[in-house]
Amino acid sequence: MDIGFSPEEMRFREQCRDWLHANIPAEIRPLDAADAIDFDKHWQRQLFDAGWAGINWPTDYGGRGLSIVQQVIWLEEYAKAHAPWIGANFVGINHGGPTLILNASEEQKAFHLPQILKGEAIWCQGFSEPGAGSDLAGIQTRGRIDGDELVINGSKIWTSFAHVADWQELVLRTEDGSRRHAGLSWVICDMHAPGITIRPIRKMSGQTEFAEVFYDDVRIPLNNVVGGLGNGWKVAMSTLSFERGTGFIADQVKQSEEIAELISKARANGMINNDHIADQLAQMRAEVAALRAMTYRNISEVVRTGQPGPEASIIRLFTAELGQRLERMAVLLLGEVILDFAYGDDNAVHDYLRGFASTIAGGTAQIQRDIIGERLLGLPKSR
Amino acid sequence: MDLTPDEDQMALQTATNDWCRAHMPLAEARSRPEGLWQQLEMMGWVGMTAPAMDLDHPTEALVFAELGRFLAPVALLSSAVAARWTKFDGKVALALAGTDNIRLFDSHNATHALGLFDANIGSVNIDADCETRRSLDLSTSIAHLQSNPPVETINDPRAALHLQLLVAAFSVGCADAARDMAADYATLRQQFDRPIGWFQSLKHICSDMAVRAAVARSQLYYAACALQAGESDAAFHVTAAKRLADQAALDNGRANIQVHGGIGMTDEASPHLCLKRAHLLQFLAPAESRILLAVSP
Ligand SMILES: Cc1cc2nc3c(=O)[nH]c(=O)nc-3n(C[C@H](O)[C@H](O)[C@H](O)COP(=O)(O)OP(=O)(O)OC[C@H]3O[C@@H](n4cnc5c(N)ncnc54)[C@H](O)[C@@H]3O)c2cc1C
Repeated sequence: MDIGFSPEEMRFREQCRDWLHANIPAEIRPLDAADAIDFDKHWQRQLFDAGWAGINWPTDYGGRGLSIVQQVIWLEEYAKAHAPWIGANFVGINHGGPTLILNASEEQKAFHLPQILKGEAIWCQGFSEPGAGSDLAGIQTRGRIDGDELVINGSKIWTSFAHVADWQELVLRTEDGSRRHAGLSWVICDMHAPGITIRPIRKMSGQTEFAEVFYDDVRIPLNNVVGGLGNGWKVAMSTLSFERGTGFIADQVKQSEEIAELISKARANGMINNDHIADQLAQMRAEVAALRAMTYRNISEVVRTGQPGPEASIIRLFTAELGQRLERMAVLLLGEVILDFAYGDDNAVHDYLRGFASTIAGGTAQIQRDIIGERLLGLPKSR
Repeated sequence: MDLTPDEDQMALQTATNDWCRAHMPLAEARSRPEGLWQQLEMMGWVGMTAPAMDLDHPTEALVFAELGRFLAPVALLSSAVAARWTKFDGKVALALAGTDNIRLFDSHNATHALGLFDANIGSVNIDADCETRRSLDLSTSIAHLQSNPPVETINDPRAALHLQLLVAAFSVGCADAARDMAADYATLRQQFDRPIGWFQSLKHICSDMAVRAAVARSQLYYAACALQAGESDAAFHVTAAKRLADQAALDNGRANIQVHGGIGMTDEASPHLCLKRAHLLQFLAPAESRILLAVSP
């Protein structure tokens, strides 16, 4: 075991740092998806042109074909440099693309992957429905097969970036009378197709970033099914494993910067003399260090065995809850200043309100605990 | 960078675990047999940290976490540090310098005791007539040194970090043991016609135990590597490991009792052994908040 990086990796780190230093946009990323979309696309294109998009994606589809350790180094430097959130590119880069790499046909990959990397195609995720949240197998949106097309009816909700997206990971029921996990398909849905209506929804933190999506006789070619008709559950699970599995790498660095800032703030305003606060800060400093260790352990496991260890689900839950405790501490240190918050503000109060998502989106903390208990500890399945 | 054990390390881990399972079961920690220490010496666990053995800290941490999982005698900790940093070999008792006096653990047949004195590792002579009895942790004896003996200290701060790292490894093992005991029981014990682990309120107690244990173990590995590499922030990382490991051992120790219900708080069942061990480890080379809050760790 060792925590050092090879000379080659250190050179790579320097290249990342130098490029980021010279190229991070001076402009601040707007909060609303509709205002941010041009910014997001432009920044993604810039990343692609400089070779920083898809660092560990196959070269055939526009990636760099480098190692996962190099991908981690990039994400670490990215967070350290306070580079902007990839925003609307989040779904395509973090789980849409990886799902296609694993499950899609050559034709689908060749068409979509380069567009994702270049920021030309924005993706969104149509999994959740009003009646199917934690219980994803309760999906009711239907696709009737008509010749070489699917005719889609139903609705999705909480779809992040739906109103600015070009494509959607759409999971729907393609087999009449099928129940639960059977009869579902994972389909690439064209968000510009006739029959789609989108109602954006505002969050309690102010921004309008997700939406409800209605499908009224929407026609999508059968060719757009990924991984085969009726295999939607399996493909969706691979999407979720990417969604739950990779996001934490950047969080780990962000949280380490945050805790250092919180400690100096508490020193400056004297609140560090409150033993309870000092103790919580010390605890979180230790936990943030452990999060990096856990991330490295997980990455080492991928390098060694080709897949993340079962502890990936632990990292995700721990990151989410630690993040929320940091956000709570930040507003505690602010005191009554939090009352000045107004929609549109991009500050600690905003982060605190927005951060409630981290134990809800992509599987709630309760569902994550079920997964840890059942898959890691072998406890009986409750659902 | 690689924070997973390599093949040799995994083999050593498994061998340690197998031996402990066969010869030093956790359930017997309520009263360890007389001859156990000789067996540990014969197997090489006692002298393995001597400079001549050239064992690295990560490997040591892995082995001590396994020993800790079976609530191995705590004199292994003091003897390991003594073997590396002092002229004593063989059994060295564990000393805890408190505010009132010095407590000694596992002092049977030992002529010296080692522990932290202020911030440094130090050792003291043990009086022959020192009276011993059982401690809260039933696996070990406790004695109070009445006099104020001269302390021979080692001024190298790495010695203190070495002790802190090994204690953290013991705590990680202890946290693992409680987690596994709870998960096993939650699978076996039936109420309302199903295993109690089916109920989420119990399942999630167990999941949180798994999270705490994984967090602590990860930081233990990182800290061991940082100490081995002589990194400037090694003290920070070892302190963080100790804090998280103590907490995991204590919290898992308590949670395990809750998962067991009535049997969990009896003397005859094992859960209390883990909790009591966690309370002992908590006072050994404790993690200082000051180090965790330092401006640049
Ligand atoms: C900011 C944000 C962005 C999102 N983006 C997307 C997106 O882009 N695409 C998409 O498809 N979805 C998205 N989601 C939806 C998200 O995946 C769901 O909100 C989530 O899975 C929970 O479903 P639900 O909201 O229906 O809550 P419910 O499932 O109704 O849960 C309500 C409460 O009940 C608990 N609960 C439910 N079932 C159980 C159980 N079996 N045991 C114990 N507790 C249980 C939950 O933990 C929760 O506390 C997003 C959500 C948020 C908040």
